[in-house]
Amino acid sequence: MSKHYAIIAEYDTPADIMAAAEKVHAAGYEKWDVHTPFPVHGMDDAMGLDNAKVGWFTFFGGITGLTVGMLMIYFMNKVDYDIVVGGKPLFSGFYAFPVAYEMTILLGAFGSLGGMFILNRLPRHHNPLLINDRFAAVTDDKFFVVIECEDPAYDEAVTRALLEGTDPQHIEMVEDAQ
Amino acid sequence: MSTETVTVATPAQGQGTEWRSIPQIAVVFGLVLCIYGFIDDKQQFAYSYLTAFMFFLSIGLGSLFLVLVHHLFDAGWSAPIRRYLEHLSCLLFPWLGIAFIPIGFLAMDIYPWMHLDPHEDHALHAKAALFNKPMWYTASVVLFLLWGWLTHRLRYWSLQQDKSGTADFEGKLVFFEKFMAGFSRNFQGLPFEKDNQQVMCTRMMRIHAGYGVALFAFSLTLGCILWMKSIQHQFFSTMYGVYYFAGSVWLSISTAWIIGRILKARGHLPQLHKLQFYHLGTMLLAFTVFYAYIHFSQYFLIWNAAVPEETFWYVMREKGTWMYVGVALIVGHFVIPFLALLRIDGKLTNKLMVPIFVWVVLMHYMDMMFNVMPEIHPDGPSPALADIGSWLLIGGALAMIFIRNLFDHPVCPLRDPRMGEALEQH
Repeated sequence: MSKHYAIIAEYDTPADIMAAAEKVHAAGYEKWDVHTPFPVHGMDDAMGLDNAKVGWFTFFGGITGLTVGMLMIYFMNKVDYDIVVGGKPLFSGFYAFPVAYEMTILLGAFGSLGGMFILNRLPRHHNPLLINDRFAAVTDDKFFVVIECEDPAYDEAVTRALLEGTDPQHIEMVEDAQ
Repeated sequence: MSTETVTVATPAQGQGTEWRSIPQIAVVFGLVLCIYGFIDDKQQFAYSYLTAFMFFLSIGLGSLFLVLVHHLFDAGWSAPIRRYLEHLSCLLFPWLGIAFIPIGFLAMDIYPWMHLDPHEDHALHAKAALFNKPMWYTASVVLFLLWGWLTHRLRYWSLQQDKSGTADFEGKLVFFEKFMAGFSRNFQGLPFEKDNQQVMCTRMMRIHAGYGVALFAFSLTLGCILWMKSIQHQFFSTMYGVYYFAGSVWLSISTAWIIGRILKARGHLPQLHKLQFYHLGTMLLAFTVFYAYIHFSQYFLIWNAAVPEETFWYVMREKGTWMYVGVALIVGHFVIPFLALLRIDGKLTNKLMVPIFVWVVLMHYMDMMFNVMPEIHPDGPSPALADIGSWLLIGGALAMIFIRNLFDHPVCPLRDPRMGEALEQH
């Protein structure tokens, strides 16, 4: 059984797709995306995208790393196996800092990676777009707007009319074959 | 390199000039306070003046660094902000050199080693090659001459580029510029035609930036050792120059952000866009971290090695209320600006960046106090009228000169080959 997955529109130039993205954004769609062969400057603004939320994962990953690093060194050197080295205190934030700082970076990086996976809903082994023949050209020289059918504002006739108004080269319905 | 020309309209002059009298008022107030401070307590005045001088020297040197980096990286985004950075760096000579004269006269009141006999003080004896009076004065003069050469040649070629292709173009190679241009053409095989004046100017600026960045690193290090670190001549730290450098560039980036915002709002520099402010904000965050990294490294290595010849410097700065200043530097110089600057959108808003600028100014001044003042105030910082006076005097005078220079020339480089990129992306 197959069902409608998304409606895709194909463009030839970055300028065309930029104009199209602005129109789709203005029409208030949420579950839609733009696919281009290379990064297009200004696309984030045209699509009305906010800053990625992934920074928060990095931030809290980093804070966790700093705390865990400090606590780990405190436990090891002061509680579990206390031994005086070089006449220094058993625990001091100064000598613990370089290692705790490395932990900050490590868990911050894990936070970024994990956050990216979570926000992108990865891993995902299959996307209906990948079996669309025309869509393969996105890795070469074509530009695509994809509006998913699950979008609350989606209506087949209205959405198709909207995309037709943006002067695309081609419009196609992508099926989700399951 | 693309050689296309971007002609930029000069904005209307003479609008909103009422704020330009602020520096003049500052100079008058500052002068009065300085004279009072000098009569009241000569040594306190000398130290206050040195603190203010080192603070403003930071802006000159930091801006010079930003200009050098612009050329070294062949950057596009920083083309529109380059001109006012050049003016800021040109304050180094002769103006900061003139501001240095009182320190030259008051040196005996500032540097205890000038009263010591090197044969009775081991630390001084070991460093006598640098720390003797003739050397100290000679090196100070040489530093300002070097900075003068570098900043003024960079600005000269930048201003000449504005006139390239017109009858006004002079573009004279002086001293070893001839040799450097010849080397570039004959041995490196780089095009260096006099008939393509626009490219020639860029090449000259880049040549100056190439050797200039090494010259900058050594001269800045020598300057802060001679004038600030030598207050405690026994101290040594290989981090000291980098430490002063990190704070200086930090202050300069924040200043560059604010000046750019003012010039844009006043319509003098419409070429500035989100791109410039975003990059400056990002660099401010980077240097917040860099400063913390450098200062922590200096402290950490000294703390860990625990050698009395080095630790005494920080022990002095942990006595009395200096301890709180040290903690305030950790929190105020690093933690607060670091957290505040993390968000991308914050770096673009006046609401965040104006308070951050005020904060950066305060923190860098506090950092300079932390370096200079413990010698005469061992129990803790003790603010004096001379502090405010010398800050207002030097700052006001430099601001007047900067504003005059800025409006004597085009505010934006007119024929920079990279200007197109800067205007395109925003």
